[in-house]
Amino acid sequence: MAKLLIVDDEANIRLLYAQELSDEGYEVVTASSALEAVEKLEGSSFDLVVLDIKLKNESGIELLQRIVKDRHGLPVILCTAFSCYKDDFSAWLADGYVVKSSDMQELKDEIKRVLAKKQIKV
Amino acid sequence: MDWECCWSRDEIAPEECPYIGEGEEDLYGSQRRRVVEKCIECPRFKNDLTRLKGAGDPLADVLPFILTEYLEQKAQMGSMLGFLNSRTSEIKFLREVSLVLQTSIDLDEVLSIAMTAITAGKGFGMNRALLLMTDKERRNIRGYLGVGPKDYEEAWRTWDDIGRRNFTLKELAKNFQKTGLNSEKEKFHDILGQLTVPLADHGHIFNRALHGKKPILVENALNNPDLDRGLARILGVDCFLVMPLISRNRRIGVIIADNCITHKPITLQDMQSLETFAFPVAFALERASLYERLQEEVAKQKAANLKLREQQELIAKMEKMALVGKITSSIAHSIRNPLMVIGGFARTLLKGSAENDEKRSYLESIVRETRQLEDVLSEVLDYSESLFPVMDFWDLNELITTSLVDLAGTLEQSGTICLSELSPELPMVRIDYKQISYCLKTIISTALASMEQGGELRVESLLDGDGVLLRISDSGNSLSEKAQEALTAPFFQTQEMGAGVGLSLCKTILERQGNSLSIVGRAGGGNVYSIRLLTRKENL
Repeated sequence: MAKLLIVDDEANIRLLYAQELSDEGYEVVTASSALEAVEKLEGSSFDLVVLDIKLKNESGIELLQRIVKDRHGLPVILCTAFSCYKDDFSAWLADGYVVKSSDMQELKDEIKRVLAKKQIKV
Repeated sequence: MDWECCWSRDEIAPEECPYIGEGEEDLYGSQRRRVVEKCIECPRFKNDLTRLKGAGDPLADVLPFILTEYLEQKAQMGSMLGFLNSRTSEIKFLREVSLVLQTSIDLDEVLSIAMTAITAGKGFGMNRALLLMTDKERRNIRGYLGVGPKDYEEAWRTWDDIGRRNFTLKELAKNFQKTGLNSEKEKFHDILGQLTVPLADHGHIFNRALHGKKPILVENALNNPDLDRGLARILGVDCFLVMPLISRNRRIGVIIADNCITHKPITLQDMQSLETFAFPVAFALERASLYERLQEEVAKQKAANLKLREQQELIAKMEKMALVGKITSSIAHSIRNPLMVIGGFARTLLKGSAENDEKRSYLESIVRETRQLEDVLSEVLDYSESLFPVMDFWDLNELITTSLVDLAGTLEQSGTICLSELSPELPMVRIDYKQISYCLKTIISTALASMEQGGELRVESLLDGDGVLLRISDSGNSLSEKAQEALTAPFFQTQEMGAGVGLSLCKTILERQGNSLSIVGRAGGGNVYSIRLLTRKENL
């Protein structure tokens, strides 16, 4: 079972992710801030991170850079309300980019695609 | 004694002296002037002197010495006067030419005056003049302009024409600048082309003249051991003058002048006159060349200023973009997140609800409406982005290929066969890549919507005059005129197209950049969407 870390500052969105992605068979851990995410990454091992770009007073992009630097090979999917970052070179470090939507199929597909690429079994 | 000549009388009658002509009547009453101007050379006066000698007058032996000396002095004075007159008219001519040269900053005008002055009969009257100038890199001296007839026939025609029109030198120069400058350049093109000499070739006669700052008169050129015979052969004359043009120690060029038609010898005086003339010409040529270079620099400066202004406008635009970006970001964040939560949980609840649960339809409504709100939000945000295109030159075929790869999954799901025919020789198009990619994807989505049962989608790129055409054809139901109207009105709703700003946004984006979008519903079914893109930089 792949283990996912969800990082989003909105409690309801974390709840929705946890619900939907658990139903898909993933083990889901959530974090509400970059600090909490780093702590959880240090305390446990994960197969993939789903990361929001705008966190309260923090930047998801900075956290992305830190993950890429410290945990080389851990895939990250940016899931954000903004479509404009898709072409921003700072977002190119991520393995996937999904615009937030009430239909989470695109995110689920993207998680599957990235995990398959990294050859991690669900 | 009875004298044959009238020298002894105060006043004479007209029939008494046959040497007084018309207009000299006042000499009849002036003995002094008559004796000096007429009697002194009169044969009758000489007879009277012989008679005086015969009479034993001692003055008769002395007077011939005085007379001979006087006549010699008179001839000398006459010659000096002629010389002074010629110099005066030359100075007058030089002054006139110099004045014009001093006030002219147009290189063509300076050249026309200089070359006309050398070759016109009213100027120095040389048959031909060739101007060679130092190139910008100051490495070579090159043939620049030639003036004069090439053969007898042309010489006769030109001189006859000039003689009949009686132009002043200034008029001749003006006329030459207007009609002759380019044709003369062309006429002497072959000779001028052979006259390039490196400035480092110190032994060459051009450089010798420049170095010595003195004109060199070449005579017997074909047999002159100090001279390259090739030059004489190129010029086709045995005698020519090489005049250096130097201004403030700068080597401007040389003028070669000759009498290739009349073969009249070039005199020392011709050489001196041309030497005097060479100074203002060199100065004027240098000034006109500098002015021309200055103009080039001014043009470059203007272009740089324009570019700077464009950059400033771009910065202002980017500042606006940043503001719009902030606003749209804020909207995106504060609307999209709650929508996701509402719609997402509604979907979760819907998944877990029983098929016969009556609340299911409420949940379905929430899911549907949320989805629609999300679509509208996306389009509004896309529209905001479209206000500030980032224009650059792109390969349209690469854009089409990438977009089709992005849409591969959607095309496969819809059961549509997609064919692309891309012309391999398209020029680059100046577009905002993201926006045109958005337009193409939106049109393909619209086309797919009109082919519910699948069908054939054709994407073509082809050259169209000064632009490039991107054509998308579907095999779906032909759109009605009403549906086509939807193009121009955002949120216009039709059964075929649904509501939204998609195609209308595409049209707005394309037209704002000087491009166009048209839709034609084919009678036999299917629609053709044509995007015409400009390849020039002039589009917005």
